[in-house]
Amino acid sequence: MKEIVFEHRMAAHCETGTVTALLNHGGLEITEPMVFGIASGIFFGYFESSNFSFPTFIVRNKPGSIRKNISKRLGVKFYEQKFHDPLKGERILNELISKEIPTAAQVDFYYMDYMPEYQRVHINVHFINVIGKNENTYLVSDSYYPKKTELKIGTLNKARFAGGFMAPKGFLFYPLSLPSEINFEKAIIRGIRKASYNMLKLPVPFVGIKGMRKFARNVKDWPKISRDIDHLSHEIMRINILLEDQGTGGAGFRYLYATFLQQAALKLNEESLKNMSKRMMLIGDSWRNISYFAAKAGKNRDLGPERLGELSDMINARADEEHQFFSDLARLVK
Amino acid sequence: MKEKDLYVDFKAQQAVYYVEKSDESYGPVVSGSFLSKYYLDDFYEKMNKQEQALREKLKAGEISPVYYYCIVREFGEGDLASRVGVSVRKLRKHFKMENFTKMKLSLLKKYADAFDIPVTNMFHLVMTRQEFTEKLRIVDSETKNPFFVISKIEAKGE
Repeated sequence: MKEIVFEHRMAAHCETGTVTALLNHGGLEITEPMVFGIASGIFFGYFESSNFSFPTFIVRNKPGSIRKNISKRLGVKFYEQKFHDPLKGERILNELISKEIPTAAQVDFYYMDYMPEYQRVHINVHFINVIGKNENTYLVSDSYYPKKTELKIGTLNKARFAGGFMAPKGFLFYPLSLPSEINFEKAIIRGIRKASYNMLKLPVPFVGIKGMRKFARNVKDWPKISRDIDHLSHEIMRINILLEDQGTGGAGFRYLYATFLQQAALKLNEESLKNMSKRMMLIGDSWRNISYFAAKAGKNRDLGPERLGELSDMINARADEEHQFFSDLARLVK
Repeated sequence: MKEKDLYVDFKAQQAVYYVEKSDESYGPVVSGSFLSKYYLDDFYEKMNKQEQALREKLKAGEISPVYYYCIVREFGEGDLASRVGVSVRKLRKHFKMENFTKMKLSLLKKYADAFDIPVTNMFHLVMTRQEFTEKLRIVDSETKNPFFVISKIEAKGE
């Protein structure tokens, strides 16, 4: 087994976890919340698209943006490549491993067969680090899994070259060079500014605060598009999965962002950011109440208009709260 | 969230959560999944009911295997169509048996690949009695011939 010396750590989210681990491996001391915050990871978007089996929402920025924003704001240069030819994609990955370069790969999460079967769904935007290889398997470090684990070569190839929405196309990346000096203050402020803009001002009706309001409006109509009560229950309970279980650090990344703000306050010696981090932690608690509410209502099949109206009101209240929060945060970093 | 309010004992599914620690600092801790710990039975019950209902429709010829696997695997229609290389309109046609039977074998293989099953499973479902499901498993082995698969019934743990 060819195994690169690499420290495996679990992380809240796959992309921030993967990027953080690679930066740490390269010698840059940075935490997952700091990567998330500088890269303006906090977000909200509500989607009704044929690419999803049912309306869904995301609570973080576009996949790939973490790496791109870290590159822009910290000056880290990444090797990045997609492949048309799976054989070439496999060969390049093998060469990188033989050169002892831990390499991040974009994959379809469904093929990560070390995860519990009930968790495995087709999502083309999962990220793992590949850190070794033997005759039949790759050694991988997946932020969602407690330890380093193996994945059959054929399985990783399938995962890297699954087609469909946001197809990975064998995408690989790793940091080529790290800057000798980093202006964290500037990077943090730019990260916060962009996050606030995304939440408040992006001129798209289904993202940011507008996305939350759309979610609040449309969730009341979910019974009309469900096959039956069990299907509706499944989709309502998925709200809990999307907020808590699908690698968000809890409460749809709100706790992770609160941690970033606390760390940013320390780095910048800025008391006002510390207060904002406390506010974000409380906002996270309110999202977590939504998670529990959805899980309980779904389990009890208590999904009449009254209960869904209650859920809608809770989401709208979060929209009000986050509108005020990000307006205040934007003013702080003007 | 306070650290003391988080912990869920569920080893099968661990994740990182960010919490407020006793010294008021925020940081990561590992805990089990709340939803999986308390509601996994409900999830399986729903999935089994759904699968049975779809299987009955499949047996009656009311839906095609493409529709069956699309729902069971929770694919979005656009995503699945893109993986297979057909339009959503065409995909919806393939949801019906009368169009499924006219499909080329090469296209059927693309569907099977997207569903991560042997192409032969587009024509049959292999099942075991409940008492055997914990003891036996079916292992499908691909051959050089992409349209020929060998399925072996093995004892679990072999």
